[in-house]
Amino acid sequence: MIMNKQEFLTSAGLQVQTLELWLDQEWLIPDQTSAEMTFSDTDVARAHLIRDLKGDFGVNDEGVDVILHLVDQLHGLRGAFEQLHRDIKGLSR
Amino acid sequence: MRNPYEVLGVVPTASPADIQKAYRKLAKKLHPDLNPGNKAAEEKFKEVAGAYDLLADAEKRKRFDAGEIDATGAERPQHRFYRDFATSDQGHSYTDNSGFSDFMDSDDAFAELLRRREEARANRRGQDLHYSLPIEFAESITGANKRLTLPDGGTLDVTIPPGLTGGQILRLRGKGAPGAGKGSPGDALIEVEVLPDRRFTREGDDITLELPISLSEAVLGGRIRVPTPTGDVTMAVPKGSNTGTIMRLKGKGAPRRGGGHGDQFVKLKVVLPKPPDPELEAFVSNWDKGREFNPRAEGAT
Repeated sequence: MIMNKQEFLTSAGLQVQTLELWLDQEWLIPDQTSAEMTFSDTDVARAHLIRDLKGDFGVNDEGVDVILHLVDQLHGLRGAFEQLHRDIKGLSR
Repeated sequence: MRNPYEVLGVVPTASPADIQKAYRKLAKKLHPDLNPGNKAAEEKFKEVAGAYDLLADAEKRKRFDAGEIDATGAERPQHRFYRDFATSDQGHSYTDNSGFSDFMDSDDAFAELLRRREEARANRRGQDLHYSLPIEFAESITGANKRLTLPDGGTLDVTIPPGLTGGQILRLRGKGAPGAGKGSPGDALIEVEVLPDRRFTREGDDITLELPISLSEAVLGGRIRVPTPTGDVTMAVPKGSNTGTIMRLKGKGAPRRGGGHGDQFVKLKVVLPKPPDPELEAFVSNWDKGREFNPRAEGAT
């Protein structure tokens, strides 16, 4: 689902100031291709992850930066691995 | 709010009969009217009643067991984790390939694959956008051109094909969110809702209409105007038509897939004049044959 800023704040349970901060840190990167920035379900799930890290796990801002960077790399790698897996399967068929 | 199984003191595998038995036993003991001075009993009774309310309803119990609702019966939001989205096929703005970019620089097949993936991510397709569009019943039969106003103030011209049924989804290619880089835009997916019409009902390709006719039209027959979704037509009502008589207007139904049309069925309904006509009353009371006729002679149905 595509949502605007207000809908995103409601859905992610965030204050507008918190969102501004997270946007500054580039922890969240909404879609800016149209006039108004739009958010997706992926952004909501990512916001929940950040909230869990900062809240439940007591990670500070620098820690969140490091964790997100590693998580993003991990998923990049997982995606490449999955693609490779598919290609190999296609070859052996 | 405590777990309803604990409140009733039953195991989660308890049968509906066991649950009812446990509830009755507790309810008898805790009912506020039987414990007038006991405030705690009232609270407990409410809790027991709430728990029974949830567990006695098979549907609610199933949803509670599956974790979809909480003990108060409120919808529990489904928590979707970031990982459910993170490794998507098209990739997204967060995916970071720097962890293996060194592999991409060589010129073997593996590097080629990683480069292709990176390219696909930079030029990913825009997302599909969902809209809903209500249309009139007649428009669903004849087809129509509608203009949809988008939340951002833009408009979208939608051609409704003739014979569309409610809930069908129209896909407008390239009318969704713009893509990134060289990626193509997504599609607009429009769910069409056909508004109910109090005259027509549709079943498959056929349409049914209930049409009131006067007593003289029923007895003597005649030509009457009949509304159809494509406009009025004239239909001949034969002499001696009755309430419940069904006439068929061939080819006046919804367009069929692959050519042709369904039919429109016209169900006649004889309506007496209002207010009652003294002349008609006088005629019927002197009409012996009419009184001899018993439509229930062969049973009430």
